[in-house]
Amino acid sequence: MSTDAVARARGRVGKPAALLEVRSLSKRFGEVQANWDVDLTVLPGTVHGLIGENGAGKSTLLKMIYGVYTPDEGRMFVDGAPVAPGSPADARALGIGMVFQDLRLVPALTVAENIALALPEGPRLRLTQLAARITEASEAYGLAVDPSAQVRHLSIGERQRAEILKVLMTGARLVILDEPTSVLAPQEVEALFGVVAQLRDRGLGVVLVTHKLGEVRAIADQVTVLRGGQVILNAEDPGNFSDAELVEAMVGRRVPPLAVERAAVPPRDHPVLTLAGATALGDRGHVALKGVDLAVYPGELVGVAGVAGSGQKELCEVALGLRPVTSGSVDAGDGAAVAVPEDPVADSVVPGLTVLEHMVLDGRAVPRRGLGVDWPAVGARTAVLDERVGLHMAPTRRTLSSLSGGNIQRVLLTRELGQDAALVVAAYPSRGLDVANTRRTQELLLEHRARGAGVLMVSEDLDELIAVADRIAVMHDGHVVGVVDTAGADRMSIGRLMLGGVA
Amino acid sequence: MSQEVTKEAPASAAAAPPAEPPRRVRVRGAALLRWVGALIAGLVVFGAFVLANGADPFAVYADIWTSTLTQPGQFQQIVLRAAPIALAGLAVVVPARAGLVNVGGEGQLIIGGVAAAGVALWLTPVASPWLIMLLMILAAMAAGAAWAGIAAAMRLVVKVNEAVTTLLLNYVALYSMLFLILGPWKDPAALGQSTSVELNDAMKLPVFAGTAIHVGVALAVVAAGAVWFALTRTTWGFRLSVVGGNAEAARRAGLPVVTLLLTALLLGGALAGLAGFIQFAGMEYKLRPTFGLTIGYVAFLASWLSRHKPLPLLLASLVLAAIAVSGNSLQIGSGLPAASVNILMGLVLLAVLGWTGPRKVRS
Amino acid sequence: MIIDILAGAVRGGTSIMYAGLGETISERGGVINLGTEGAMLLGALGGYAVTAETGNPWLGVLGGALAGALLSLVHAVLVVSRRANQFASGLTLYFLALGVTSLFGVSYVSRQINAFTPVPVPGLSEIPGLGPILFDHDPLVYVAYVAAPVIWWVLFRTRVGLLVRTAGERSEALEVNGYSVRAVRYCATVAGGALAGIGGAHISIAYANSWFENMIAGRGFIAVALVIFAMWNPVRIMAGAYLFGAALSLASVLQTSGIAVNQFALNAVPFVLTLVVLAILGRRTMLAAPDELLKVFDNSRTT
Repeated sequence: MSTDAVARARGRVGKPAALLEVRSLSKRFGEVQANWDVDLTVLPGTVHGLIGENGAGKSTLLKMIYGVYTPDEGRMFVDGAPVAPGSPADARALGIGMVFQDLRLVPALTVAENIALALPEGPRLRLTQLAARITEASEAYGLAVDPSAQVRHLSIGERQRAEILKVLMTGARLVILDEPTSVLAPQEVEALFGVVAQLRDRGLGVVLVTHKLGEVRAIADQVTVLRGGQVILNAEDPGNFSDAELVEAMVGRRVPPLAVERAAVPPRDHPVLTLAGATALGDRGHVALKGVDLAVYPGELVGVAGVAGSGQKELCEVALGLRPVTSGSVDAGDGAAVAVPEDPVADSVVPGLTVLEHMVLDGRAVPRRGLGVDWPAVGARTAVLDERVGLHMAPTRRTLSSLSGGNIQRVLLTRELGQDAALVVAAYPSRGLDVANTRRTQELLLEHRARGAGVLMVSEDLDELIAVADRIAVMHDGHVVGVVDTAGADRMSIGRLMLGGVA
Repeated sequence: MSQEVTKEAPASAAAAPPAEPPRRVRVRGAALLRWVGALIAGLVVFGAFVLANGADPFAVYADIWTSTLTQPGQFQQIVLRAAPIALAGLAVVVPARAGLVNVGGEGQLIIGGVAAAGVALWLTPVASPWLIMLLMILAAMAAGAAWAGIAAAMRLVVKVNEAVTTLLLNYVALYSMLFLILGPWKDPAALGQSTSVELNDAMKLPVFAGTAIHVGVALAVVAAGAVWFALTRTTWGFRLSVVGGNAEAARRAGLPVVTLLLTALLLGGALAGLAGFIQFAGMEYKLRPTFGLTIGYVAFLASWLSRHKPLPLLLASLVLAAIAVSGNSLQIGSGLPAASVNILMGLVLLAVLGWTGPRKVRS
Repeated sequence: MIIDILAGAVRGGTSIMYAGLGETISERGGVINLGTEGAMLLGALGGYAVTAETGNPWLGVLGGALAGALLSLVHAVLVVSRRANQFASGLTLYFLALGVTSLFGVSYVSRQINAFTPVPVPGLSEIPGLGPILFDHDPLVYVAYVAAPVIWWVLFRTRVGLLVRTAGERSEALEVNGYSVRAVRYCATVAGGALAGIGGAHISIAYANSWFENMIAGRGFIAVALVIFAMWNPVRIMAGAYLFGAALSLASVLQTSGIAVNQFALNAVPFVLTLVVLAILGRRTMLAAPDELLKVFDNSRTT
């Protein structure tokens, strides 16, 4: 196979060499074939969209390109020359730069210090000098960043600009952006795409990883679709495909749209959740929630939109009584609440305990036998939940912490959404799920709404919120800056609110 | 319609690693091998230290062997030494289940001993021996718990790590005791070393007929059994392990995290205080500057050697007690300081920590 | 008498400062080392033994640094390479050092050495008040004046310092940039142990001018606590260390002035003081903790 790969690469001699050419990469983890015979070609001066569902093998592919994983089989070429990056440093030396989804900046350091970390320069940090170079570069690329700001205090959008700047200043010719838009407001996405277009015009290659078709249409010159670790469409012009065809390529089947018709919100009774001037501190002691007024009524689904880190986490915790308010009031009635955690692994997974042992950690009374827990009763209760929720969670004897992110999420969703409660608080409920399970989760939330629960749902996907919510509360910098009726809402006006502007 | 879609869901389940195979037996065997390996490594390095100090390691080991294991009565000495180690070890085990590191066994034990001595001192003229003994137990446990409670309060209110505070409290306890026995509680009749007044014979712990083993030993075994039951068979034990594994998850599950952390550390302190009581009323009968010396630290090692499991802790306590007892004969036989056996204990635990800890998973 | 106490504060605080500076480097890199107490013990004996054998206290300082570094190297192997629990490893090393120093220390008890003597700084030591407090000390005290700002500069103004801080704040950022987290942490831990060793040597060859078993008597643990309320900042370490020096010197000054106070009550003062300061400032200063260190603090358990 590898001689075949060389032959294919040689066949290109005479044409301008591709910036990056990946041939027949395969990678296997235990019984999972994460990548199988994957090809990817990125030409200079193009934006290449790489799309696929969660678990399609995108991140495995990126990590092989960036030298984090070594491929089991296959070849890579940069400018036509065979390469085998064994570490991220190797990849960077080849001109490959990666902007990770969770950004690899150090929050406690300044932007300049973070960039210094990536630049191979002398033993003394000449930060003033470096700050001048950063300012110069940020003007040249239109990436406004304050070099002396501590990263901890920057918004997600600013952090992302700093990271892109860092990658560019280390001399990257191929910039890989891993799901860069998932945390941004629409306006910020437009600004980012402006930068991407500029990079393309300067002859750089850009790989844009995403699962949003609109973004592919907006900026990508070519698109490659991965599904189940294999290439389904290879470097095609997205203009030649309809949305339905691209979705089918990603998912492998047609996905029916979410049913639109649903019961009207019942006439307003007593709200199940009332926040009045609620103010709360974040984990680092800063004011993270600033005088929020919000009510959720029975039978309605209120979405929460906002750029990541605008106070959504604190809003959920205050609503659930997990975080004290420093002023204002919270009234969640006396009905029980169920909650899908913001960060499942950090918030809900106890290392070493089984799925079954996690099923009693739902805030309800634990079935007892003598002084201990009645585990058979828990098992029976769990089977009922699993049947009802229909997310097909992992067997209960498995250790939860050993499961993948999506499977952990399904266990927690089953535990939480299987119960009836007056208030349902769901933070990023579809995180890590594939399309089918995302759809089922949205249906579950709507089922809770239909039986009369008040649902508060945080999502970073505006389209998802517009599809399922009755109203959308938009957060910016700890405030709820506006509550928009979903009927007739438009993305751009919500986006302006997310950025702190006026609708 | 949507139901059919979700039926295909397990596709992403494949992304999870395969289930662990049943391998209990193999693990047991491997654990035993590691233990033996750790002991041998400790003995070899210790031998090198002894050699470097100009003594013959083989002679030293022969000395240790004959003095600890062949002399009559030595086994009883080992058991007597092991009992407070086991109790103070439980004082590490219980908080460890809740994710807390109690390095304060030393101080909690001393304060327990001081409380017991105080009760005996004040009440001997006025109360019956049995009542005094009961009050001594209660006072020792309460004092140990209170001493641990300072660290617990600082962890819960000020968020300062309990390992640091319990260590500092050890010194405060030690100096408090020294203050008492060189000041107000000093036995005017004591010759040489200052001590407190010796406990009245009627209040010394009774021994089992025909042996030197006092009932404190039985107390330690019962306590280990009770802790084992509480940790593995009760809701409280389960909740404690949830808090220890992920306190945030426990908080979100509505568990009383603060109460659980507090009870774990207080119970630990009480157990160490109890160790102080049996050391006082069963072994030393008076407070002296070396009262309970290093028992708390040895107990910490014992707890880590037994991976914070109560029943293996009893075995680990016996092993470390045997090493400690051999230290005395070392001093007599080879002229090496008794504290040199601390090296052996330290080396064994280092080997165990290094070889049996969780491995880094390369991603 | 105030001048005596303050001069004693500088002299007595110096060993804690060295250990605190070392522990600051180590913790900035994400490794807490309770074995600091043990490294000081080994440093004290190592420094004393080398001075006794060579007659040169400067070689003694080197010996103390090496001894402390060696013990911390074992800590690094256990916690960085073998992922052992940091608290358990540190405390075990303290215990090991206790045994090792009592075994090898026997022959040095009551042996005379050519110890450091006070070297008044010409001119400066004549200043009334300040002179005797600051400029009439052994050379290691003067080295410490320079060490704190230099270590601050290295941590915050050089690439090495940046790497150490990154290891303690978000180690994966090091790996992404092609550095080895392991190497950085080894260096930080060993450097920390070397400084603790110098601190120990200061006690045996400049402060007490003798060797006896367990002579560090908890100063290393105080240093670990000091790092917390000095907010991992070398310059604050300097201030804090002198505060404890004052608490330590209080005992000896009161005794020499003939005021009858129970010595053991005074011995407890530095520890009580540490606990009180932690109780007052701890909550605020913990906010400045390096993120990876915080993970060690919060989730101290390993099985």
